[in-house]
Amino acid sequence: MPPFPSQAEVEETLKRIQSQNGVQGIIIVNTEGIPIKTTLDNASTVQYAGLIHQLVMKARSTVRDIDPQNDLTFLRVRSKKNEIMIAPDKDAFSNKTSFLLY
Amino acid sequence: MPVNFPDVQGKRDTVKEQVTEDMLKEVIDLYISETDSISLLDIPSTFVSVDADDAEPIMERNNQYAEACRSRMDNDKYVDQSVQTLNGATKNKQVQSDSIVMVDKVGSTDSTGNNASGWVLSPVMSLLACIILLCFSSASAASSLKEVEALGNSLNAESDLQLIMLSEKFQHCLLVMERSILGNIFQPQLAAYRQLPVIEDPESPVKPGMGEQREEDAESPRSPAVVRLWAFSCELSRGSSVSSMAWNKKNPDLLAVGYGEFGSSNQKPGLVCCWSLKNPTWPERVIRCDSAVTSLDFSSNNPSQLAVGMQDGSIAIYNVKSRDNKACFISSSGCPNRHLDPVWQLRWTQQELSLTGEEKVESLFSVAADGRISKWFVSNNGLDCIDLMKLKKSHNTKKKAGGTTTGKKTESVLSALTPGLCFDFHPTDASVYLVGTWEGLIHKCSCSNSQQFLETFKKHFCPVNHVTWSPLSPDVFLSCSADWTIQLWKQDHHKPVLGFTSTQRTVCDIKWSPKWATVFGAVNEGQLEIWDLNSSILDPVIVQPAAAGVKMNSLLFAPQTDCVLVGDSDGQVTVYQLRNLCVGDSSQVTLKGKPYIFVPEQHQKRHYRPTWTTVEEIQYTFHF
Repeated sequence: MPPFPSQAEVEETLKRIQSQNGVQGIIIVNTEGIPIKTTLDNASTVQYAGLIHQLVMKARSTVRDIDPQNDLTFLRVRSKKNEIMIAPDKDAFSNKTSFLLY
Repeated sequence: MPVNFPDVQGKRDTVKEQVTEDMLKEVIDLYISETDSISLLDIPSTFVSVDADDAEPIMERNNQYAEACRSRMDNDKYVDQSVQTLNGATKNKQVQSDSIVMVDKVGSTDSTGNNASGWVLSPVMSLLACIILLCFSSASAASSLKEVEALGNSLNAESDLQLIMLSEKFQHCLLVMERSILGNIFQPQLAAYRQLPVIEDPESPVKPGMGEQREEDAESPRSPAVVRLWAFSCELSRGSSVSSMAWNKKNPDLLAVGYGEFGSSNQKPGLVCCWSLKNPTWPERVIRCDSAVTSLDFSSNNPSQLAVGMQDGSIAIYNVKSRDNKACFISSSGCPNRHLDPVWQLRWTQQELSLTGEEKVESLFSVAADGRISKWFVSNNGLDCIDLMKLKKSHNTKKKAGGTTTGKKTESVLSALTPGLCFDFHPTDASVYLVGTWEGLIHKCSCSNSQQFLETFKKHFCPVNHVTWSPLSPDVFLSCSADWTIQLWKQDHHKPVLGFTSTQRTVCDIKWSPKWATVFGAVNEGQLEIWDLNSSILDPVIVQPAAAGVKMNSLLFAPQTDCVLVGDSDGQVTVYQLRNLCVGDSSQVTLKGKPYIFVPEQHQKRHYRPTWTTVEEIQYTFHF
């Protein structure tokens, strides 16, 4: 079991990513789709978080429908002006619904 | 009455409406009741009197039916066939609800495998992160970044962030993200390294100057050259000098580089960085050592073990799999027999055990400045060694005029061993190896004989910096030394077959190309030289001068691709790609006439013995 990564290392990695040439911003989102850390302004963050949430769920369900053992690991959307890279976690955006019948 | 859950999706776009605590605590009543029975089909049986007219056919029919029912089991006339009702097109309706986590007691695990240690923490523990990154393509200008405080309105935002940041999966996401971005940035260089065709971005605006440049390239004659691809460097390594580099035996993308300053005045601590090709801006692992690192090697049997030799003579074996600096670290500092002088070279070699002949055991060998070549093995949580050879000083044949008694006294005080600087094991017979010494001699030794050298090759009169067997031609080896020359030897000849010199600088490192038998690379402090014996034995085919103020120290060929890595005194490891190096198919280089070492005229002003010796005419033919 590799040792627990320290907070400082994680912060450093985030800083390095941010300082790379061409990176516009980073948003970190939790499972419910609520952004918890961001380097962009509020409006853009909320817009991106909301739109990306649906896209990731759709992509994920597509991958899993084709092969239930498979799962989405990375998603890149390349457009004329920029590129969006999404690294979802395994349990992120999982759609758990349950019915209770009496 | 069907059960209906409220649809919460529509509330995402406006931030104003918040799900407050009261709304969540509100109790909603749902009533479920039983429906009335609905009959779908009801055909009651009819009665006919026995005396009626059509009683007989009815009775016959009844009997026939009873007969059929009885014989239905094994009769071929009756086949069981299922029929499927048609399913109409489904319409997916997405509903979201909070995940229901079962918690029985403290310390139990729930269905997702997370350790649920309390009902407050469990939903938080299953929260994991997703990172979204926005990037520009290379055509557009960079925009400014604003730092904004966390947006999360939920109560657990702070703790969410903490837990997410510390989770292993988040680190993995970050790693993948960083590599993807760097893959974007370095795509042309990495593609050139891996010899893939570079795909041009169809959308990127074509610069007006580029078109002309491309035409020029197509017209100019293709002469061999090196093209600089990228350089591995980071703030940690800047300023220290690169001392050694080694590729991982299992993962050809992993490179270990050792750094250290060798001035005797300052004993700065050394550094080992493990770089991955996928990230040229930051090393994957950083290991800080107590003293300057002089040599490195990866093991083949355990590919994650890296042996590091240092200037104070200690040898440590690190496991690069773990991120922890000091984990899995075995050192030779406890061994009483350890080297006390810089360990100039380390090598893991597989040797056959003499009895079986089939088994190969891998051991670590080292050569150090105290004149010993040792074989190391792990014992009692530390390293222990046995000496394979002691490099004795060769006795001077000239007799000193007078004062012989004083000469003898001084000899007994000084050590009788001469520092060993480099060694190399024969590629096919691992019990035979060559050692280069401070005196300029190269000894051929065997692992089974620890008293005598098998052969001695004398030519250099300055320390031999590097000696290396050719991987593709048997019995041919190269040596380079501080006397500015490179010598090519054949195993049975006591004199070198060819000598090369091109500048008045000490040659620091020399390596054979793993792909072409007649190509080797050499690095003296001022430039990188690539020699091709097939095209010229007087001049290098490619010369790449070092950047101003920087000295090139070490050289490494990249396997399976035509790139070389050069380490310099500024802590940078630059990757160059060899282009247009046409190595002919012919594998023979024929030399007629007197073998001699050619030294250009301007060097002849210096004081040393004649540069060429005449021997009878011999025709040398090399088969590579």
